[in-house]
Amino acid sequence: MRNKIFILLVLSGCFIASLSSLAPIWFLWDTSWPFWSSYGISSLWGTEWYPFESLFGLLPAIVGSIWVLIIAMGVAIPCGLAAAIVSSEILPASWQNLLRVSMEVLAGIPSVVYGLIGLWVLLPWLQQHLGLLTGHSLLAAGLILSLMILPTIMVMALDALRLVPAEQREAAINLGLDWEQRLYRVLLPQAWPGIRTGMLLGLGRALGETMAVMLVVGSMDRLPQPIYNILEPAQTLTSRIGREMGEASFGSMHFSALLACGLVLALFASLLSLLAHRKSKQAHP
Amino acid sequence: MKALLILLALPAILLPTACLLYILYQALPALNWSLIAGSDTANISNMSSAGQALWHQISGSLLLMMLANILAAPLALSMAFFHALIASRQQKMILMTFLQVLQGIPPIVYGLCGLILLVHLLHWGISLATGAVILAIIILPLLSSNIIHALERIPAEQTEAAAALGMSKAAIVLRVWFPLAWTSMLTGLVLAMARSLSETAPILFTATVFSGIAWPDSLFSPVTSLQTHIFYLAQEGSNAQAIHVAWASAAVLLALVLLFSLTALFLRRYKESS
Repeated sequence: MRNKIFILLVLSGCFIASLSSLAPIWFLWDTSWPFWSSYGISSLWGTEWYPFESLFGLLPAIVGSIWVLIIAMGVAIPCGLAAAIVSSEILPASWQNLLRVSMEVLAGIPSVVYGLIGLWVLLPWLQQHLGLLTGHSLLAAGLILSLMILPTIMVMALDALRLVPAEQREAAINLGLDWEQRLYRVLLPQAWPGIRTGMLLGLGRALGETMAVMLVVGSMDRLPQPIYNILEPAQTLTSRIGREMGEASFGSMHFSALLACGLVLALFASLLSLLAHRKSKQAHP
Repeated sequence: MKALLILLALPAILLPTACLLYILYQALPALNWSLIAGSDTANISNMSSAGQALWHQISGSLLLMMLANILAAPLALSMAFFHALIASRQQKMILMTFLQVLQGIPPIVYGLCGLILLVHLLHWGISLATGAVILAIIILPLLSSNIIHALERIPAEQTEAAAALGMSKAAIVLRVWFPLAWTSMLTGLVLAMARSLSETAPILFTATVFSGIAWPDSLFSPVTSLQTHIFYLAQEGSNAQAIHVAWASAAVLLALVLLFSLTALFLRRYKESS
Protein backbone atom coordinates (compact mmCIF):
# COMPACT_ATOMS: atom_id res chain seq x y z
CA MET A 1 0.00 0.00 0.00
CA ARG A 2 2.72 2.44 1.05
CA ASN A 3 4.59 1.43 -2.03
CA LYS A 4 1.65 2.22 -4.27
CA ILE A 5 1.27 5.68 -2.75
CA PHE A 6 4.97 6.28 -3.31
CA ILE A 7 4.78 5.23 -6.95
CA LEU A 8 1.69 7.37 -7.43
CA LEU A 9 3.52 10.36 -5.94
CA VAL A 10 6.51 9.83 -8.21
CA LEU A 11 4.32 9.48 -11.29
CA SER A 12 2.26 12.56 -10.51
CA GLY A 13 5.46 14.53 -9.84
CA CYS A 14 6.78 13.47 -13.23
CA PHE A 15 3.49 14.41 -14.83
CA ILE A 16 3.57 17.92 -13.34
CA ALA A 17 7.23 18.31 -14.24
CA SER A 18 6.81 17.35 -17.86
CA LEU A 19 3.65 19.38 -18.17
CA SER A 20 5.33 22.50 -16.80
CA SER A 21 8.35 21.97 -19.03
CA LEU A 22 6.27 21.42 -22.13
CA ALA A 23 3.79 24.21 -21.51
CA PRO A 24 6.27 27.00 -22.37
CA ILE A 25 7.01 25.38 -25.71
CA TRP A 26 3.34 25.17 -26.52
CA PHE A 27 2.78 28.80 -25.51
CA LEU A 28 5.71 29.82 -27.66
CA TRP A 29 4.05 28.23 -30.65
CA ASP A 30 0.52 29.30 -29.83
CA THR A 31 1.30 32.96 -29.18
CA SER A 32 3.63 33.38 -32.12
CA TRP A 33 1.08 31.79 -34.46
CA PRO A 34 -0.70 35.09 -35.32
CA PHE A 35 2.66 36.42 -36.47
CA TRP A 36 3.51 33.40 -38.62
CA SER A 37 0.04 33.31 -40.15
CA SER A 38 -0.03 36.98 -41.14
CA TYR A 39 3.62 37.56 -42.08
CA GLY A 40 4.62 34.09 -43.09
CA ILE A 41 7.95 32.36 -43.03
CA SER A 42 9.41 34.99 -45.35
CA SER A 43 9.78 37.42 -42.42
CA LEU A 44 12.79 35.29 -41.46
CA TRP A 45 14.73 37.03 -44.21
CA GLY A 46 12.97 40.39 -44.04
CA THR A 47 15.53 43.12 -43.40
CA GLU A 48 13.36 45.77 -41.76
CA TRP A 49 12.26 45.69 -38.11
CA TYR A 50 10.08 48.65 -37.22
CA PRO A 51 7.39 47.42 -34.80
CA PHE A 52 5.47 50.69 -34.98
CA GLU A 53 5.14 50.48 -38.72
CA SER A 54 4.33 46.77 -38.59
CA LEU A 55 7.55 45.76 -40.28
CA PHE A 56 8.89 42.62 -38.69
CA GLY A 57 11.96 41.29 -40.45
CA LEU A 58 14.04 38.92 -38.36
CA LEU A 59 17.15 38.95 -40.54
CA PRO A 60 19.09 41.76 -38.78
CA ALA A 61 18.82 40.01 -35.42
CA ILE A 62 19.67 36.63 -36.91
CA VAL A 63 22.73 38.06 -38.69
CA GLY A 64 23.69 39.79 -35.45
CA SER A 65 23.40 36.55 -33.50
CA ILE A 66 25.47 34.68 -36.06
CA TRP A 67 28.22 37.33 -36.03
CA VAL A 68 28.35 37.37 -32.26
CA LEU A 69 28.62 33.57 -32.20
CA ILE A 70 31.39 33.57 -34.81
CA ILE A 71 33.41 36.14 -32.87
CA ALA A 72 32.84 34.42 -29.53
CA MET A 73 33.79 30.99 -30.85
CA GLY A 74 36.71 32.39 -32.83
CA VAL A 75 38.25 33.72 -29.65
CA ALA A 76 37.10 31.14 -27.14
CA ILE A 77 37.93 27.92 -29.01
CA PRO A 78 41.65 28.54 -29.66
CA CYS A 79 42.22 30.08 -26.22
CA GLY A 80 40.18 27.53 -24.31
CA LEU A 81 41.69 24.60 -26.17
CA ALA A 82 45.20 25.94 -25.68
CA ALA A 83 44.53 26.46 -21.99
CA ALA A 84 43.25 22.90 -21.69
CA ILE A 85 46.29 21.47 -23.51
CA VAL A 86 48.71 23.56 -21.48
CA SER A 87 47.15 22.62 -18.17
CA SER A 88 46.80 18.93 -18.90
CA GLU A 89 50.10 18.35 -20.74
CA ILE A 90 52.53 20.96 -19.48
CA LEU A 91 51.51 22.09 -16.00
CA PRO A 92 51.96 19.78 -12.99
CA ALA A 93 48.90 17.96 -11.64
CA SER A 94 48.35 20.18 -8.63
CA TRP A 95 48.15 23.28 -10.83
CA GLN A 96 45.83 21.43 -13.12
CA ASN A 97 43.37 20.70 -10.32
CA LEU A 98 43.50 24.27 -9.12
CA LEU A 99 42.82 25.55 -12.64
CA ARG A 100 39.96 23.16 -13.16
CA VAL A 101 38.30 24.14 -9.91
CA SER A 102 38.70 27.85 -10.59
CA MET A 103 37.34 27.43 -14.12
CA GLU A 104 34.34 25.56 -12.78
CA VAL A 105 33.71 28.38 -10.35
CA LEU A 106 34.17 30.98 -13.07
CA ALA A 107 31.61 29.22 -15.24
CA GLY A 108 29.03 30.11 -12.61
CA ILE A 109 29.55 33.86 -12.64
CA PRO A 110 26.22 35.54 -13.43
CA SER A 111 25.94 36.98 -16.90
CA VAL A 112 24.82 40.36 -15.67
CA VAL A 113 28.18 40.75 -13.94
CA TYR A 114 29.91 40.13 -17.26
CA GLY A 115 27.56 42.69 -18.73
CA LEU A 116 28.72 45.21 -16.16
CA ILE A 117 32.34 44.49 -17.00
CA GLY A 118 31.58 44.79 -20.69
CA LEU A 119 29.78 48.06 -20.29
CA TRP A 120 32.29 49.79 -18.06
CA VAL A 121 35.60 48.19 -19.03
CA LEU A 122 35.41 46.75 -22.52
CA LEU A 123 33.34 49.49 -24.16
CA PRO A 124 35.57 52.41 -23.07
CA TRP A 125 38.59 50.39 -24.15
CA LEU A 126 37.14 49.70 -27.59
CA GLN A 127 36.07 53.31 -27.89
CA GLN A 128 39.58 54.49 -27.20
CA HIS A 129 41.55 52.01 -29.25
CA LEU A 130 39.31 51.54 -32.27
CA GLY A 131 37.97 55.08 -32.42
CA LEU A 132 34.34 54.02 -32.13
CA LEU A 133 31.55 56.37 -31.22
CA THR A 134 30.39 54.54 -28.10
CA GLY A 135 31.96 51.12 -28.35
CA HIS A 136 28.55 49.43 -28.53
CA SER A 137 29.13 46.83 -31.21
CA LEU A 138 28.87 43.22 -32.27
CA LEU A 139 32.58 42.93 -31.56
CA ALA A 140 32.09 43.91 -27.92
CA ALA A 141 29.25 41.42 -27.51
CA GLY A 142 31.32 38.67 -29.10
CA LEU A 143 34.32 39.37 -26.88
CA ILE A 144 32.24 39.36 -23.69
CA LEU A 145 30.57 36.12 -24.75
CA SER A 146 33.93 34.54 -25.46
CA LEU A 147 34.97 35.34 -21.90
CA MET A 148 31.78 33.73 -20.62
CA ILE A 149 32.07 30.48 -22.56
CA LEU A 150 35.83 30.05 -22.13
CA PRO A 151 35.47 28.12 -18.84
CA THR A 152 32.91 25.72 -20.35
CA ILE A 153 35.08 24.94 -23.36
CA MET A 154 38.22 24.64 -21.27
CA VAL A 155 36.77 22.35 -18.60
CA MET A 156 35.23 20.01 -21.16
CA ALA A 157 38.44 19.87 -23.22
CA LEU A 158 40.53 19.34 -20.09
CA ASP A 159 38.32 16.45 -18.95
CA ALA A 160 38.46 14.90 -22.42
CA LEU A 161 42.27 15.14 -22.52
CA ARG A 162 42.56 13.64 -19.05
CA LEU A 163 40.43 10.69 -20.11
CA VAL A 164 42.92 9.65 -22.80
CA PRO A 165 44.30 6.37 -21.40
CA ALA A 166 47.86 6.39 -20.09
CA GLU A 167 48.69 3.37 -22.31
CA GLN A 168 48.01 5.45 -25.39
CA ARG A 169 50.38 8.16 -24.24
CA GLU A 170 53.05 5.63 -23.34
CA ALA A 171 52.66 3.82 -26.64
CA ALA A 172 53.06 7.11 -28.46
CA ILE A 173 56.22 7.90 -26.53
CA ASN A 174 57.62 4.43 -27.22
CA LEU A 175 57.00 4.94 -30.90
CA GLY A 176 59.35 7.89 -30.70
CA LEU A 177 56.76 10.52 -31.52
CA ASP A 178 57.76 13.97 -30.35
CA TRP A 179 55.51 16.20 -28.28
CA GLU A 180 53.76 17.85 -31.22
CA GLN A 181 53.11 14.60 -33.01
CA ARG A 182 51.69 13.07 -29.87
CA LEU A 183 49.39 16.04 -29.53
CA TYR A 184 48.11 15.98 -33.09
CA ARG A 185 48.08 12.26 -33.77
CA VAL A 186 47.08 10.82 -30.41
CA LEU A 187 45.72 13.24 -27.85
CA LEU A 188 43.51 15.53 -29.89
CA PRO A 189 41.89 12.80 -32.02
CA GLN A 190 41.21 10.75 -28.87
CA ALA A 191 39.78 13.67 -26.97
CA TRP A 192 37.89 15.15 -29.91
CA PRO A 193 34.37 13.97 -28.98
CA GLY A 194 34.63 15.61 -25.56
CA ILE A 195 36.13 18.75 -27.02
CA ARG A 196 33.35 18.96 -29.58
CA THR A 197 30.70 18.56 -26.89
CA GLY A 198 32.27 21.41 -24.96
CA MET A 199 32.28 23.60 -28.06
CA LEU A 200 28.63 22.89 -28.83
CA LEU A 201 27.60 23.51 -25.23
CA GLY A 202 29.53 26.78 -25.27
CA LEU A 203 27.87 27.68 -28.55
CA GLY A 204 24.46 26.98 -27.05
CA ARG A 205 25.22 29.11 -24.02
CA ALA A 206 26.48 31.95 -26.19
CA LEU A 207 23.37 31.77 -28.35
CA GLY A 208 21.01 32.00 -25.40
CA GLU A 209 22.90 34.58 -23.36
CA THR A 210 20.88 37.71 -22.86
CA MET A 211 22.00 40.15 -20.21
CA ALA A 212 25.64 40.64 -21.15
CA VAL A 213 24.84 40.91 -24.84
CA MET A 214 21.94 43.25 -24.24
CA LEU A 215 24.13 45.69 -22.33
CA VAL A 216 26.92 45.95 -24.89
CA VAL A 217 25.44 45.27 -28.30
CA GLY A 218 23.73 48.63 -28.73
CA SER A 219 20.30 47.38 -29.81
CA MET A 220 20.20 48.90 -33.29
CA ASP A 221 17.73 47.14 -35.53
CA ARG A 222 19.39 47.09 -38.89
CA LEU A 223 21.69 44.93 -40.92
CA PRO A 224 25.38 45.68 -40.47
CA GLN A 225 26.49 47.94 -43.34
CA PRO A 226 28.35 46.33 -45.07
CA ILE A 227 27.45 42.89 -43.82
CA TYR A 228 30.90 42.23 -42.30
CA ASN A 229 30.91 45.48 -40.32
CA ILE A 230 31.11 44.30 -36.73
CA LEU A 231 32.08 47.66 -35.24
CA GLU A 232 28.61 49.20 -35.32
CA PRO A 233 25.73 48.82 -32.88
CA ALA A 234 23.48 45.96 -33.89
CA GLN A 235 20.95 43.55 -32.43
CA THR A 236 20.83 39.86 -31.63
CA LEU A 237 17.78 37.67 -31.12
CA THR A 238 18.20 37.58 -27.35
CA SER A 239 18.93 41.26 -26.93
CA ARG A 240 15.86 42.13 -28.99
CA ILE A 241 13.62 40.00 -26.79
CA GLY A 242 15.21 41.44 -23.66
CA ARG A 243 14.91 45.04 -24.83
CA GLU A 244 11.40 44.92 -26.21
CA MET A 245 9.76 42.42 -23.90
CA GLY A 246 8.88 45.15 -21.42
CA GLU A 247 7.45 47.57 -23.94
CA ALA A 248 5.46 45.37 -26.31
CA SER A 249 1.83 45.31 -25.24
CA PHE A 250 0.36 41.89 -24.57
CA GLY A 251 -1.63 40.47 -27.48
CA SER A 252 -0.20 42.85 -30.08
CA MET A 253 1.52 41.76 -33.26
CA HIS A 254 4.78 43.13 -31.83
CA PHE A 255 4.53 40.75 -28.88
CA SER A 256 3.72 37.91 -31.21
CA ALA A 257 6.77 38.77 -33.31
CA LEU A 258 8.97 38.70 -30.21
CA LEU A 259 7.61 35.25 -29.45
CA ALA A 260 8.54 34.28 -32.99
CA CYS A 261 12.10 35.40 -32.24
CA GLY A 262 11.96 33.25 -29.12
CA LEU A 263 10.74 30.28 -31.13
CA VAL A 264 13.58 30.61 -33.64
CA LEU A 265 16.03 30.89 -30.75
CA ALA A 266 14.61 27.88 -28.91
CA LEU A 267 14.68 25.75 -32.07
CA PHE A 268 18.34 26.58 -32.78
CA ALA A 269 19.33 26.08 -29.15
CA SER A 270 17.62 22.72 -28.72
CA LEU A 271 19.14 21.55 -32.00
CA LEU A 272 22.57 22.49 -30.66
CA SER A 273 22.10 20.71 -27.35
CA LEU A 274 20.76 17.60 -29.08
CA LEU A 275 23.82 17.63 -31.31
CA ALA A 276 26.16 18.15 -28.36
CA HIS A 277 24.79 15.27 -26.31
CA ARG A 278 24.24 12.81 -29.14
CA LYS A 279 27.90 12.94 -30.13
CA SER A 280 29.12 12.65 -26.57
CA LYS A 281 26.97 9.55 -26.04
CA GLN A 282 28.81 7.76 -28.82
CA ALA A 283 32.15 8.74 -27.42
CA HIS A 284 31.69 7.43 -23.89
CA PRO A 285 29.31 4.52 -24.08
CA MET B 1 54.52 25.22 -30.77
CA LYS B 2 54.54 24.99 -26.98
CA ALA B 3 55.28 28.68 -26.76
CA LEU B 4 52.39 29.50 -29.07
CA LEU B 5 50.05 27.34 -27.02
CA ILE B 6 51.13 28.99 -23.79
CA LEU B 7 50.71 32.38 -25.40
CA LEU B 8 47.15 31.48 -26.41
CA ALA B 9 46.40 29.93 -23.05
CA LEU B 10 47.56 32.86 -20.97
CA PRO B 11 44.59 35.15 -21.65
CA ALA B 12 42.21 32.26 -21.10
CA ILE B 13 43.70 31.59 -17.69
CA LEU B 14 44.43 35.15 -16.62
CA LEU B 15 41.50 37.17 -17.97
CA PRO B 16 38.70 35.60 -15.92
CA THR B 17 40.81 35.94 -12.78
CA ALA B 18 41.60 39.52 -13.70
CA CYS B 19 37.87 40.17 -14.07
CA LEU B 20 37.21 38.87 -10.58
CA LEU B 21 39.97 40.99 -9.11
CA TYR B 22 38.78 44.03 -11.04
CA ILE B 23 35.25 43.66 -9.66
CA LEU B 24 36.67 43.52 -6.14
CA TYR B 25 38.89 46.52 -6.84
CA GLN B 26 35.92 48.55 -8.05
CA ALA B 27 33.59 47.36 -5.35
CA LEU B 28 35.79 47.80 -2.30
CA PRO B 29 35.47 51.60 -2.02
CA ALA B 30 31.67 51.40 -2.10
CA LEU B 31 31.31 48.21 -0.16
CA ASN B 32 30.76 48.72 3.51
CA TRP B 33 28.32 47.57 6.07
CA SER B 34 26.05 50.58 5.81
CA LEU B 35 25.53 49.95 2.12
CA ILE B 36 24.24 46.48 2.83
CA ALA B 37 22.38 47.06 6.06
CA GLY B 38 21.27 50.57 5.18
CA SER B 39 21.87 52.22 8.52
CA ASP B 40 23.36 55.17 6.71
CA THR B 41 20.25 57.04 5.62
CA ALA B 42 21.80 60.46 5.16
CA ASN B 43 22.94 60.13 1.57
CA ILE B 44 19.88 58.33 0.29
CA SER B 45 17.52 61.24 0.11
CA ASN B 46 18.85 62.85 -3.04
CA MET B 47 19.41 59.82 -5.22
CA SER B 48 16.24 57.85 -5.37
CA SER B 49 17.34 54.25 -5.34
CA ALA B 50 21.02 54.13 -6.04
CA GLY B 51 21.64 54.74 -2.38
CA GLN B 52 19.11 52.23 -1.18
CA ALA B 53 20.37 49.55 1.15
CA LEU B 54 21.32 46.40 -0.67
CA TRP B 55 19.72 44.32 2.03
CA HIS B 56 16.37 44.38 0.24
CA GLN B 57 17.88 43.22 -3.01
CA ILE B 58 19.81 40.45 -1.31
CA SER B 59 16.75 39.16 0.52
CA GLY B 60 14.70 39.36 -2.70
CA SER B 61 17.25 37.31 -4.61
CA LEU B 62 17.52 34.74 -1.85
CA LEU B 63 13.73 34.53 -1.54
CA LEU B 64 13.33 33.91 -5.27
CA MET B 65 16.06 31.29 -5.12
CA MET B 66 14.60 29.46 -2.13
CA LEU B 67 11.08 29.40 -3.53
CA ALA B 68 12.26 28.21 -6.94
CA ASN B 69 14.24 25.39 -5.38
CA ILE B 70 11.42 24.39 -3.05
CA LEU B 71 9.13 24.16 -6.07
CA ALA B 72 11.62 22.36 -8.28
CA ALA B 73 13.15 19.89 -5.83
CA PRO B 74 10.15 17.53 -5.37
CA LEU B 75 9.50 17.48 -9.09
CA ALA B 76 13.16 16.80 -9.84
CA LEU B 77 13.24 14.06 -7.21
CA SER B 78 10.22 12.37 -8.71
CA MET B 79 11.77 12.58 -12.19
CA ALA B 80 14.93 10.98 -10.82
CA PHE B 81 13.02 8.22 -9.00
CA PHE B 82 10.97 7.58 -12.12
CA HIS B 83 14.26 7.26 -14.04
CA ALA B 84 15.82 4.97 -11.48
CA LEU B 85 12.89 2.79 -10.44
CA ILE B 86 10.18 2.67 -13.04
CA ALA B 87 11.41 3.65 -16.47
CA SER B 88 12.29 1.07 -19.10
CA ARG B 89 15.52 1.43 -21.05
CA GLN B 90 13.78 3.25 -23.85
CA GLN B 91 11.89 5.56 -21.51
CA LYS B 92 15.18 6.42 -19.80
CA MET B 93 16.69 7.43 -23.12
CA ILE B 94 13.69 9.58 -24.01
CA LEU B 95 13.74 11.21 -20.57
CA MET B 96 17.45 12.04 -20.79
CA THR B 97 17.11 13.50 -24.29
CA PHE B 98 14.12 15.52 -23.12
CA LEU B 99 16.10 16.93 -20.19
CA GLN B 100 19.06 17.77 -22.40
CA VAL B 101 16.92 19.62 -24.92
CA LEU B 102 15.25 21.54 -22.11
CA GLN B 103 18.62 22.47 -20.67
CA GLY B 104 19.61 23.96 -23.99
CA ILE B 105 16.62 26.29 -24.31
CA PRO B 106 17.65 29.85 -23.39
CA PRO B 107 16.22 31.11 -20.06
CA ILE B 108 14.83 34.24 -21.68
CA VAL B 109 12.44 32.07 -23.67
CA TYR B 110 11.01 30.71 -20.44
CA GLY B 111 10.80 34.28 -19.22
CA LEU B 112 8.70 35.19 -22.26
CA CYS B 113 6.37 32.24 -21.75
CA GLY B 114 6.03 33.04 -18.08
CA LEU B 115 5.13 36.60 -19.02
CA ILE B 116 2.30 35.34 -21.20
CA LEU B 117 0.89 32.61 -19.01
CA LEU B 118 1.51 33.75 -15.46
CA VAL B 119 1.57 37.52 -15.69
CA HIS B 120 -1.12 38.06 -18.29
CA LEU B 121 -3.34 34.99 -18.58
CA LEU B 122 -3.42 34.01 -14.91
CA HIS B 123 -3.20 37.65 -13.73
CA TRP B 124 -0.51 36.96 -11.18
CA GLY B 125 1.09 40.20 -12.25
CA ILE B 126 4.75 41.00 -11.83
CA SER B 127 5.29 39.02 -8.69
CA LEU B 128 7.43 36.83 -6.53
CA ALA B 129 5.31 33.79 -7.39
CA THR B 130 5.76 34.33 -11.14
CA GLY B 131 9.53 34.64 -10.80
CA ALA B 132 9.77 31.60 -8.56
CA VAL B 133 7.76 29.41 -10.95
CA ILE B 134 9.79 30.56 -13.97
CA LEU B 135 13.08 29.97 -12.16
CA ALA B 136 11.84 26.59 -10.99
CA ILE B 137 11.09 25.53 -14.57
CA ILE B 138 14.50 26.80 -15.66
CA ILE B 139 16.43 24.83 -13.05
CA LEU B 140 14.23 21.74 -13.23
CA PRO B 141 16.16 19.97 -16.03
CA LEU B 142 19.51 20.77 -14.43
CA LEU B 143 18.38 19.60 -11.01
CA SER B 144 16.76 16.43 -12.37
CA SER B 145 19.81 15.37 -14.31
CA ASN B 146 22.08 16.15 -11.34
CA ILE B 147 19.97 13.92 -9.09
CA ILE B 148 19.72 11.23 -11.75
CA HIS B 149 23.52 11.15 -12.01
CA ALA B 150 23.80 11.06 -8.23
CA LEU B 151 21.50 8.03 -8.08
CA GLU B 152 23.32 6.33 -10.93
CA ARG B 153 26.54 6.37 -8.93
CA ILE B 154 24.98 4.18 -6.23
CA PRO B 155 26.45 0.68 -6.66
CA ALA B 156 23.88 -1.66 -8.19
CA GLU B 157 24.72 -4.39 -5.63
CA GLN B 158 23.33 -2.26 -2.81
CA THR B 159 20.01 -1.81 -4.55
CA GLU B 160 19.88 -5.47 -5.54
CA ALA B 161 20.67 -6.59 -2.00
CA ALA B 162 17.92 -4.37 -0.66
CA ALA B 163 15.45 -5.68 -3.22
CA ALA B 164 16.48 -9.26 -2.40
CA LEU B 165 15.65 -8.57 1.24
CA GLY B 166 12.13 -7.86 0.09
CA MET B 167 12.20 -4.12 0.68
CA SER B 168 9.60 -2.12 -1.17
CA LYS B 169 10.60 0.61 -3.59
CA ALA B 170 9.71 3.31 -1.11
CA ALA B 171 11.84 1.63 1.54
CA ILE B 172 14.77 1.25 -0.84
CA VAL B 173 14.63 4.97 -1.56
CA LEU B 174 14.35 5.96 2.08
CA ARG B 175 16.61 3.43 3.77
CA VAL B 176 19.27 2.75 1.13
CA TRP B 177 19.46 5.54 -1.42
CA PHE B 178 19.13 8.58 0.81
CA PRO B 179 21.85 7.52 3.27
CA LEU B 180 24.15 6.57 0.40
CA ALA B 181 23.62 9.45 -1.96
CA TRP B 182 22.49 12.43 0.07
CA THR B 183 25.77 14.30 -0.38
CA SER B 184 25.72 14.07 -4.15
CA MET B 185 22.03 14.91 -4.26
CA LEU B 186 22.69 17.92 -2.05
CA THR B 187 25.56 18.92 -4.35
CA GLY B 188 23.12 18.93 -7.25
CA LEU B 189 20.68 21.04 -5.29
CA VAL B 190 23.33 23.56 -4.28
CA LEU B 191 24.48 23.88 -7.89
CA ALA B 192 20.89 24.52 -8.93
CA MET B 193 20.68 27.18 -6.23
CA ALA B 194 23.76 28.91 -7.61
CA ARG B 195 22.22 28.77 -11.05
CA SER B 196 18.93 30.26 -9.94
CA LEU B 197 20.76 33.06 -8.18
CA SER B 198 22.58 34.03 -11.34
CA GLU B 199 19.65 34.01 -13.77
CA THR B 200 18.69 37.56 -14.62
CA ALA B 201 16.90 37.87 -17.94
CA PRO B 202 13.84 35.72 -17.16
CA ILE B 203 12.93 37.58 -13.97
CA LEU B 204 13.62 41.05 -15.33
CA PHE B 205 10.07 41.68 -16.54
CA THR B 206 8.24 39.03 -14.62
CA ALA B 207 9.21 39.30 -10.97
CA THR B 208 11.23 42.35 -10.14
CA VAL B 209 10.94 46.10 -9.97
CA PHE B 210 13.76 48.56 -9.62
CA SER B 211 13.10 49.93 -6.16
CA GLY B 212 10.60 50.77 -3.52
CA ILE B 213 10.02 47.28 -2.22
CA ALA B 214 11.56 46.45 1.11
CA TRP B 215 10.00 43.08 1.68
CA PRO B 216 7.22 41.64 -0.50
CA ASP B 217 3.81 41.77 1.22
CA SER B 218 2.59 38.56 -0.32
CA LEU B 219 3.48 35.99 -2.94
CA PHE B 220 1.81 38.15 -5.52
CA SER B 221 3.70 41.35 -5.02
CA PRO B 222 6.88 42.28 -6.87
CA VAL B 223 10.34 41.99 -5.34
CA THR B 224 13.68 43.62 -5.91
CA SER B 225 16.64 41.42 -6.73
CA LEU B 226 20.35 41.83 -6.81
CA GLN B 227 20.68 40.66 -10.41
CA THR B 228 18.22 43.11 -11.88
CA HIS B 229 19.50 45.85 -9.57
CA ILE B 230 22.92 45.55 -11.21
CA PHE B 231 21.30 45.69 -14.62
CA TYR B 232 19.37 48.86 -13.91
CA LEU B 233 22.25 50.62 -12.16
CA ALA B 234 24.74 49.69 -14.88
CA GLN B 235 22.80 51.80 -17.35
CA GLU B 236 22.78 54.93 -15.23
CA GLY B 237 25.86 56.25 -16.94
CA SER B 238 25.73 59.78 -15.60
CA ASN B 239 25.48 58.86 -11.96
CA ALA B 240 28.87 57.91 -10.55
CA GLN B 241 27.38 56.80 -7.25
CA ALA B 242 25.07 54.40 -9.08
CA ILE B 243 28.01 52.76 -10.81
CA HIS B 244 29.79 52.29 -7.52
CA VAL B 245 26.73 50.66 -6.06
CA ALA B 246 26.48 48.51 -9.18
CA TRP B 247 30.02 47.22 -8.67
CA ALA B 248 29.33 46.62 -5.02
CA SER B 249 26.14 44.71 -5.86
CA ALA B 250 28.08 42.68 -8.39
CA ALA B 251 30.62 41.78 -5.71
CA VAL B 252 27.86 40.77 -3.30
CA LEU B 253 26.11 38.68 -5.95
CA LEU B 254 29.40 37.04 -6.87
CA ALA B 255 30.09 36.29 -3.22
CA LEU B 256 26.68 34.63 -2.88
CA VAL B 257 27.06 32.57 -6.05
CA LEU B 258 30.61 31.58 -5.12
CA LEU B 259 29.40 30.60 -1.67
CA PHE B 260 27.02 28.11 -3.26
CA SER B 261 29.40 26.77 -5.89
CA LEU B 262 32.22 26.38 -3.37
CA THR B 263 29.83 24.57 -1.03
CA ALA B 264 29.08 22.20 -3.89
CA LEU B 265 32.80 21.64 -4.45
CA PHE B 266 33.34 21.05 -0.76
CA LEU B 267 30.49 18.54 -0.64
CA ARG B 268 32.00 16.68 -3.59
CA ARG B 269 35.38 16.53 -1.85
CA TYR B 270 33.72 15.39 1.36
CA LYS B 271 31.97 12.63 -0.57
CA GLU B 272 35.20 11.52 -2.20
CA SER B 273 37.14 11.46 1.03
CA SER B 274 34.56 9.58 3.08
